[in-house]
Amino acid sequence: MRKLTIGLFSVSAITMMTMPAYAQGGAAAPATNWVAIASGFGMALAAGLAALGQGKVGAAACEGMARNPGARPGIQLALILGLAFIESLVLFTLVIIFAKVV
Amino acid sequence: MPHQLWITAFLNKYFAGVANAILGVFHLHSPHPDAPIPNYVAMQIVVFVFLVLVFVLVRSQLSVEDPGHVQQVFESINGMISQQGHEVIGHGHERFTNYLVTLGLFILTCNLIGLIPGFEAPTAVPSVPLGCAVVTWIYYHMNGIRQNGPGYIKHFIGPVWWLAPLMFVIEVASHLARILSLTVRLFANMFAGDMVTLVFFSLFPIAIPVIFMLLHIGVSFIQTYIFVLLATVYIGEAVAHEH
Repeated sequence: MRKLTIGLFSVSAITMMTMPAYAQGGAAAPATNWVAIASGFGMALAAGLAALGQGKVGAAACEGMARNPGARPGIQLALILGLAFIESLVLFTLVIIFAKVV
Repeated sequence: MPHQLWITAFLNKYFAGVANAILGVFHLHSPHPDAPIPNYVAMQIVVFVFLVLVFVLVRSQLSVEDPGHVQQVFESINGMISQQGHEVIGHGHERFTNYLVTLGLFILTCNLIGLIPGFEAPTAVPSVPLGCAVVTWIYYHMNGIRQNGPGYIKHFIGPVWWLAPLMFVIEVASHLARILSLTVRLFANMFAGDMVTLVFFSLFPIAIPVIFMLLHIGVSFIQTYIFVLLATVYIGEAVAHEH
């Protein structure tokens, strides 16, 4: 608990050290393209989390088919449907990037 | 003058006047009056003519005693979608097989035509998947109303009466989100396939882009299957009799 308190306070102290940056009023001249960097991070985050989710779906489908090979058609249907839904969420992120960045 | 494929140039040379007249009926003006037919419309016309020719050819060769190879291929496609309809929709699914097979063949041909040089996939433009999604949406709502009558509204109400206002808003939003998700799923997969092939073409033009074109073939089939499967699921939900 003491370590947590010390950690939290030091993080907030360092964060507050950046306050003077807000005084400069906004435009950096050789503009760093924050939109591109943010969209790269956003896409990577979306793809990584989606991969985790799809991994869970695939693992559950494999286990189900192994336990009950007779239920294969239903489980295959649920597998394909689940993978497609998760993938479409990642593609929404991609479309937003193409609408705003490119 | 936008970049035109050779088919688009050919169509615009002969049918520009007709196209401008049709647009004029709806008070729309093309930004390029001498090339009013865009590439994706020309590609859809090609797909349409090709599919109609194939269907007429198959229909003329149908025979019960001695089915040829082509007939067996189309019978198997129809059988696959009909069986899926039986699994998902259950009783009374035969009515929807026609629409689903046509939708599937149209989307598959649109996706695959992008691989041929000199043609581009119309599904890589957002309007075409939107058209397919809106038509599917109208189709399953129409069938839900035809099957359930005014009781179709019960699908939107939820299990208990005192949640009905909230549930109605949520259900309407979710049904509208279906149009968005069907459109974006198909469009983004095809568009991303094009983009990725282009990127690798600019990096290493010799053999690597072919791998991505192979991937594009696989993705085309899978996305067609997903679209038809989701259309089947939505039809099944709309047509279900509430107990």
